[in-house]
Amino acid sequence: MKIAVCIKRVPVMEVKFAITADKSRYEETGLKYDINDFDLWAIEAALQLKEKAGTGSVHVVCVGPNAAQEQIRKAMAMGADSGALLETDTRNYDGLAVARVLAAELKDGGYDLVLFGRIAIDSMNQMTGPMVAELLDMPVVTNVFKLDINGATGRAERVLEGASEVVEFPLPAVLTIDDGLNKERLPSLKGIMAAKKKPLEVKPANLGDAAVTVRSMALPAERAAGRIVGEGADAVPELVRLLQTEAKVL
Amino acid sequence: MVFAVVLLGAGAFFTVSALRLRRWALIGHAEDRTNDPATRTKNLLLIGIAQTKIMRDGFGGLMHALVFWGFCVLALGALEILIQGLVDGFSYAWLLPRPLFVVYVLSQEIFCGLVLLAVGWLFYRRLVIKPARFAGDPVHGGDALFILSMITVLMVTLLLTFAMEIHAGASAAGHILSAPIAMLLGGLSSDAAHVLGRTSWWIHALGLLAFANYLPFSKHLHVLTSLINTWYSNTSGPGRIGAMRPMDLEAEDAEQFGAADVEHLSWKNLMDGYSCTECGRCTAACPANITGKKLSPRMIVVKTRARLTEKATVLDAVGGGTATMEQQAVLDKNLLDDWITEEELWACTSCRACVEECPVSIDQLDIINELRRDLVLMESRFPEEAQGALTSLERNGSPWAYSAADREAWTEGLDIPTMADMVAREERPDILFWVGCMGSFDDRAKKITVAFARILQAANVKFAILGQEETCHGDPARRMGNEYLYQMLAKGVIETLDGYQVKTVVTFCPHCFHQMGNEFPDLGGHYEVIHHTDYIERLLNEGRVPLNTEHGQRLKVAYHDSCYLGRYNDIYDSPRNSIRKALPVVTLVEPPRTKSRGLCCGAGGGRMWMEETEGKRVNVERTEELLATGADTIAVACPFCMTMMTDGLTASGSEVPVLDVSEVVAGQLRV
Repeated sequence: MKIAVCIKRVPVMEVKFAITADKSRYEETGLKYDINDFDLWAIEAALQLKEKAGTGSVHVVCVGPNAAQEQIRKAMAMGADSGALLETDTRNYDGLAVARVLAAELKDGGYDLVLFGRIAIDSMNQMTGPMVAELLDMPVVTNVFKLDINGATGRAERVLEGASEVVEFPLPAVLTIDDGLNKERLPSLKGIMAAKKKPLEVKPANLGDAAVTVRSMALPAERAAGRIVGEGADAVPELVRLLQTEAKVL
Repeated sequence: MVFAVVLLGAGAFFTVSALRLRRWALIGHAEDRTNDPATRTKNLLLIGIAQTKIMRDGFGGLMHALVFWGFCVLALGALEILIQGLVDGFSYAWLLPRPLFVVYVLSQEIFCGLVLLAVGWLFYRRLVIKPARFAGDPVHGGDALFILSMITVLMVTLLLTFAMEIHAGASAAGHILSAPIAMLLGGLSSDAAHVLGRTSWWIHALGLLAFANYLPFSKHLHVLTSLINTWYSNTSGPGRIGAMRPMDLEAEDAEQFGAADVEHLSWKNLMDGYSCTECGRCTAACPANITGKKLSPRMIVVKTRARLTEKATVLDAVGGGTATMEQQAVLDKNLLDDWITEEELWACTSCRACVEECPVSIDQLDIINELRRDLVLMESRFPEEAQGALTSLERNGSPWAYSAADREAWTEGLDIPTMADMVAREERPDILFWVGCMGSFDDRAKKITVAFARILQAANVKFAILGQEETCHGDPARRMGNEYLYQMLAKGVIETLDGYQVKTVVTFCPHCFHQMGNEFPDLGGHYEVIHHTDYIERLLNEGRVPLNTEHGQRLKVAYHDSCYLGRYNDIYDSPRNSIRKALPVVTLVEPPRTKSRGLCCGAGGGRMWMEETEGKRVNVERTEELLATGADTIAVACPFCMTMMTDGLTASGSEVPVLDVSEVVAGQLRV
């Protein structure tokens, strides 16, 4: 089982973001970075498939800045065997440009599976996985929360709004992994030490001209403070009125 | 002549056993335990000879101490008996002036009697009273009865030997017990008396040799090792004594982190196994065990010795050859999992109650910590709930997923300068107030933060906080076995503190206090770290806190000791003194388990971030004890204890408030 996992370096979300003066991007000072949560589950899925098969390899690919080597090393510490950084300093919101670079990298790799996280928690486009599948001419199954690979075919359950769907697909295939498939492992120190010796290839990536550019960015409006309408049954009519007219939830 | 052969044989057999035990202990890794001979001598004299720790158990402790002292005194007599076997009729009377000899005889008689009385009571305790701590674990209770019987036989035969010598006309001077026995048996013919005397002598002499040779194979090996174990115990003093073993993560050739099997432990951990007599004092004090968890610190030590015996026996049998399938199966086992389960290890709150109680200075916690390190560092195995805390520590520098930007939210309207502010004004604070993650983010703990800040302001202390530059020092990760994450975080904090040339740190979190004061030095961070209860007491003593002394409430306060303040750092008085000084009319009440015997709140050792589903909740047990004192206020000096006690009180449906010592004092501020 030869598996590739595409990961993204994203800012840790438990910080207060600030927007630059020209409103084109968020401030990067003081940010910390980690592997995108959904990609962690994709890595975990790949590792479990490899462990179950007892043979195979997990290769991690990342399009990002030089510092993203840190995230690739972390994936290796979790157990991935090798990695490649397609280096670019462009902060690109154009999923297709990223997908083209990835597809070119993966094309001749002979992978049985290419895994993505369902969505990147920073840009939230959820398009790169399906685009890579299209470029590689492979079937794609998105939002996978249950997975079973049997020889040359796979069976997955997909998350739908309030329901789920079971699909079958032939290998090779592209899957995007959703929350709930697994809980990612934390790297052990043994894994961290071993990761330092695993092969990591760094090569420049040319994203070309972006078809999509960000014109402006804004923080969400501050939530207004709660209001106490009154106390007891007397307050109910006013509360209902406000819920209808102001909050518009009734 | 016959005796000489027996003695030689017994001596040889004993030597072989002793050397084997030594060789086995050295399967453990090296560790220097030779520093500080003064403290070692003090420990030996107090804990060893004066039996201070065994006396913590009241009357039973005294009885055991009598047996120990009797053993020491009667060892002289044993030597005399053994020499008699080689030199017919030998007596110390040949060597000693007459009065001194009589004193010697008297000492033998007195201790013979005392030991018999003590053994009688110990029999009574084992067979009739049956204290709970003797049961519970699968230990060798029968062994104890056997050894008590053996001591009885030795004492009785010694007295009979003496008595028959008197019967044959020897001097009765000093023989306060055997002389009356001789009189009682006065009717015996001289032949019968001779036979009885010689038989007693032989039983006694052979009994001594059998006893010595039995010890290495029984739990009573402690007779031989406890003093040595006490000598080699940790001498690093208050605070440092609870510091976890330093670990070199950068060592190039290191392949094992923590301990999965006996060879990963130190020789001292293994000798602890030899010294354990399964008395159960540790387990009886263990908060996890008391509340029905699987952990028993006694069994951690018993299992360590059992695994060592199992593995070393096979290693000896294999020698330089190839192991058979069965032998290999034994060698492939581990102390971890095959003997000690993950579940036992994660139940530990690292409260040190077990270490505190052990009369022979065993360190159960050290073994637990080393096994936890293997679980996390080698295998990444830990309770699922803990992952959130570890991930957050790595991502956010706090075990809770809060934004660093919120760290100083509590300062709003209080005019609290940060170190950066001070530096910008070219000023230097006298102290750095280390707020800690709970103090920064937890809504209840933030009130403690404000209370302490108000005291500092009222006392005109020039202080600053780090604000957003503060991050966790990694102690929770370290306690959970994640040394890697710990060192990363701790080194970051040390860099920040050194950047501001911080000299003195004051904090109200005992975990921060312990970590920064006692464990940072191993990573090169040297600061004077003071717990706020010590600092408040100092301010009160200097009269620097303007207190409203007239309107003191009449309170009945039960102070709950924090483990990391008390047992780890020997701070028991300053929280109590601070309360007394701040409240003119206060009654301090103490639950039965208090001070060095205080029961943990249940949050230590990373338990704060794990579920507690097995047995009773530790905090509920502790809260009930505190409520039973009739206190109308519970005082704590730790934000973790605060959370646990508050939850415990809610569970008990009680409305007794929990206050931090600083809140008690701040409540009396004249502002």
